[in-house]
Amino acid sequence: MTAASVTQAGFVGRHAEEPDQLYRETRELRIQGFLLFMVSDLVLFSSFIFAYLYLRNSGQGWPGPGAPKLDIALAAVNSIVLFGSGATMHFALENWKHSNFTKFANWIVLTIILGAGFLTGQVLEYVHIGASWSSGIFGASFYTLTGMHGFHVFCGIIYLTVLLLQALQGKYTFCKYTGLTLGTLYWHFVDVIWVVLFSIFYLL
Amino acid sequence: METLAHAERALAIFGGIIVFFVAAIALRNDWKSTGIENQVFKLMLGLLALGAILGILAALGVLIGKGVGA
Repeated sequence: MTAASVTQAGFVGRHAEEPDQLYRETRELRIQGFLLFMVSDLVLFSSFIFAYLYLRNSGQGWPGPGAPKLDIALAAVNSIVLFGSGATMHFALENWKHSNFTKFANWIVLTIILGAGFLTGQVLEYVHIGASWSSGIFGASFYTLTGMHGFHVFCGIIYLTVLLLQALQGKYTFCKYTGLTLGTLYWHFVDVIWVVLFSIFYLL
Repeated sequence: METLAHAERALAIFGGIIVFFVAAIALRNDWKSTGIENQVFKLMLGLLALGAILGILAALGVLIGKGVGA
C-alpha cells in the first residue's frame, strides 16, 4: 500500500468520524494528566538546574581551572535548529487542524529531521570541547543536564515518529487528535527547557 | 576554523530571525484561542521567541557567559 493511497483512504475516514461524548468528556482530563507529567519533568530539570546554580555561586573563580571552553557559535546554531523545530511542529499541528494531511506529514518529518540535527550538533559539541564528566563541577553539570535534555529530545523524536505512523494508519481524525496535541506540547516543552539550559551554560 | 565560526554565527542570526518572526506570528494568531492546551502553547511560543532572541544575541557576541570560549 502506497503512502498516497493510505493518505486518500485516511482522508475520508478522518472526516467521517465525529468526536463522541466520552471523547469530549475525557479530552481535558487527558491533557491535564499530560501537563502534570510535564510539571514532574520540569521539577526534575529544575532540581538539577538549581543545584548547578548553587554550586556555581558557592565557589570562587567560576568556571575553575580545567573547565571546558564551550563553542558559542556552534551552540547558537544548534539552539536555533531546535527552536526552529518547535516552529515546524506548531505548523504540523495547525495543518492537521485545517485538515491538510500532506502538509502535516511534511512538517512533522521536518521536525524529526531538525531534532536529529540538534542531537548531531550536541554530539559534535561534546567532541569539540574535549572534556569529560569528571572535568570538575562545570563538566559534570554540563554533561548531566545537556545529556538529560538530549535524552528527552531522543525520546521526542521517537514519540513524533510514532505519532506520524499512527496518523498514517488513520488513528487520528481531524476532529479527534488529542495525541498530536500532546506530542506538540511535549516538543515545545523540550524547546523551552533548552532556552533555560542555553542561557545558564552559554550566556551567564 | 575562523570562517566556520563566522558561517555558524551568520546561520544562527538568520535562522534566529526567522524563528522569532514565525513564533511571534503564531502567537498573534493563537492569541484569542481558548482551552488549557492553547494557554500552554501561547506561553511556550512566547518562550520560543525569547529563545530565538537569546540565540541571535549569543551569535552576535552580545551575550557570552564565563564558561564560553571566545
